[in-house]
Amino acid sequence: MTSEVVAEIEAQARELRASGCVPPGLEDELEACFEDVAEASLSGAGMPSVGETGSVTPVAGVAGPLSLAGLRRQATTLVRRRLGSSLRRLERRSALGAARAGESVWTQAHVTLDRMERLTAGSVLASRVLSAVRPRELAASVAATTNPALEGPLLTWVLERLSVAKSQEVPGKPGLVVHAECGDGRFVEMLDARGLDARGADPRSSVRTAGTGKIVAAGTLEYLAATQAETFDGILLTGVVDRLRPGAARALAQLAARALAPGGVVVLVSARPEVTVAMDPVAADLAPGRPLHPVTWCHLLAHFGLSELEVFEPDPSTSDASEPDVFAVSARRPISRFAGVSGDLS
Amino acid sequence: MRARPIRIDQIIPSIVERDAVSHHALEAQKVLHSMGFVSEIYARNMGPGLHGRVHLLEDLPRERPERQWVCYQASIGSPAADVFASHPGLKLLDYHNISPAELVERWLPHLGEEIRLGRKQLAELAPIVEIGFADSEFNRLELDEAGYRDTTVAPLMVDTTNFSCPPDQRVVDRLAAARARGGHDWLFVGQMLPHKAHQDVIKALVCARRMFDPEARLHLIGRESCPAYADALHRYVSALGLTGAVEFAGSVSSGELSAYYASSEVFVCCSDHEGFCAPLLEAMHHRLPVVAYGVTAVPETVLDAGIVLASKSPVLVATAVQRVLTDAPLREALVRAGLERARAFSAESARRGFARAIEQVLQAT
Repeated sequence: MTSEVVAEIEAQARELRASGCVPPGLEDELEACFEDVAEASLSGAGMPSVGETGSVTPVAGVAGPLSLAGLRRQATTLVRRRLGSSLRRLERRSALGAARAGESVWTQAHVTLDRMERLTAGSVLASRVLSAVRPRELAASVAATTNPALEGPLLTWVLERLSVAKSQEVPGKPGLVVHAECGDGRFVEMLDARGLDARGADPRSSVRTAGTGKIVAAGTLEYLAATQAETFDGILLTGVVDRLRPGAARALAQLAARALAPGGVVVLVSARPEVTVAMDPVAADLAPGRPLHPVTWCHLLAHFGLSELEVFEPDPSTSDASEPDVFAVSARRPISRFAGVSGDLS
Repeated sequence: MRARPIRIDQIIPSIVERDAVSHHALEAQKVLHSMGFVSEIYARNMGPGLHGRVHLLEDLPRERPERQWVCYQASIGSPAADVFASHPGLKLLDYHNISPAELVERWLPHLGEEIRLGRKQLAELAPIVEIGFADSEFNRLELDEAGYRDTTVAPLMVDTTNFSCPPDQRVVDRLAAARARGGHDWLFVGQMLPHKAHQDVIKALVCARRMFDPEARLHLIGRESCPAYADALHRYVSALGLTGAVEFAGSVSSGELSAYYASSEVFVCCSDHEGFCAPLLEAMHHRLPVVAYGVTAVPETVLDAGIVLASKSPVLVATAVQRVLTDAPLREALVRAGLERARAFSAESARRGFARAIEQVLQAT
């Protein structure tokens, strides 16, 4: 029966075209219009504002006047889209659960101390009390990120690895790179200057530079957990990697691998574990965890599917080895991994 | 007859909630358990909520071939295929199709590479796989072409959660209020990916609004899996002045999806490639007549329970939709045939089909 009906439908469509009910060329215009918007989307050109069609080909007799109801529906759709992603983010956060509980407590403690410092600004006594209760490892970490250990050959090595981060999503678009625990954001600026779309995250208001607009207040694990999978083309991890509890180190490697887009690069910079303990055993004892050996980081990153592992260890015997106590590890997410989407794409 | 193994484990590149292939693997595990096998799923990538139910691929045991078989869920290129290939156990492959790279690589270059790898791996695995299962005849023929010596159709175990979930009343009320102002409701369900060709449904809507139904609306359900493509669709709708007529609902809950099925009047599919297309069956189950472009596995999934067109020119699709909406006897016949077709893919029937396919391997000499 349906084959007969289809034949009738085809005949009716031919008649409609012949009778002029369908404006001549409408179907071609619709196709051309889609090609225009497709090109605009692929090139990342700006979205036309409400009521204008931008540079796309207008289709005769199709666009109607904007109504209040139309605007309301548009707003509703927008809100639904925004809320949808928030709910998904919430779901991801809860999924992480206990793995990052320790880190959250640590972060909250320091954020609270920051707030108390602001509230009691001018009080010498309060300042002394707060300084006394602030854990030692935070001070060490602040020093490391405001006066980064990223110098000399190590800095060159890290920049080279991150500079190749390219957007796999939209060809030609700058790679999206985040520096987690970015301190005052100077490295974010460096990456920006190299043509990357750089962002930063840091839990401590005391070190963030106000007004950059590209740095958010968040601990590293918290930030990566709240990030949608396959978001970043490059991730730089500093600071927090020196003081993670063992369980949290595994979670960090997993979250970084998850947040990387295929082809993306993660670089982490850490103090050498033996040097830290030798130089400041008190601070090391107070820290929630110890820095890990580069081999351990390589193992963790490989375990979560990253490859092309490289380790940079400045040679202490050379005169330009400004930071012999620090090493860096880089790894790439293989382009052949496409998590979460099956090929039939139903 | 072959020696019965103790365990049949599954290997899958990625497993996530609310994904057709992932759901199939989880259902297949239940069938294998019911047949008395030890059976676990090993994935290279795992979505939230599956830890504990699924293991990491690195933990896949390697027992003797007479004790352990492995079944690979093939739908994309992945290093998981190499793990499967190097495993000593007897090998089964369950094929869900791999969309052609040329349909997606303009929008997702890395997915294009992944797909090419998948096709290459599919051919490379042919000589070492004992039997290839396919969830449609269309997919089975692709396995034959790839050189698989023994192939059979084992139906996709469709997620029937959406079949029985009560509709979300808020969505029902909202759509009813819109319909009270006139116009019919069209529906398409599928991830927002380029080969689903959402733009072709939108083009047909434009023609229908000009020729027959100026207030017609389209609801597009499915997560925006390709940002550039989703952006283009939003721009397209805006450029065509259809902002109030096309709803991008995104990923919705089962109750909301059920409400869209219950409240819409026609399901329109213009996909360029489908290995099976479960939403067609969901639509049929919800008494929604189907108008679809007849490519790849779509004609086989729909059979005579929908209007399957040889072309998707916007005028033709619009004319077909109008016919379905206005020809009451035709509509009733399509709804009846659709319900019958959906029953053929019931969960129980699909489980029996998969169990039969496994028995077939055991019986082989």
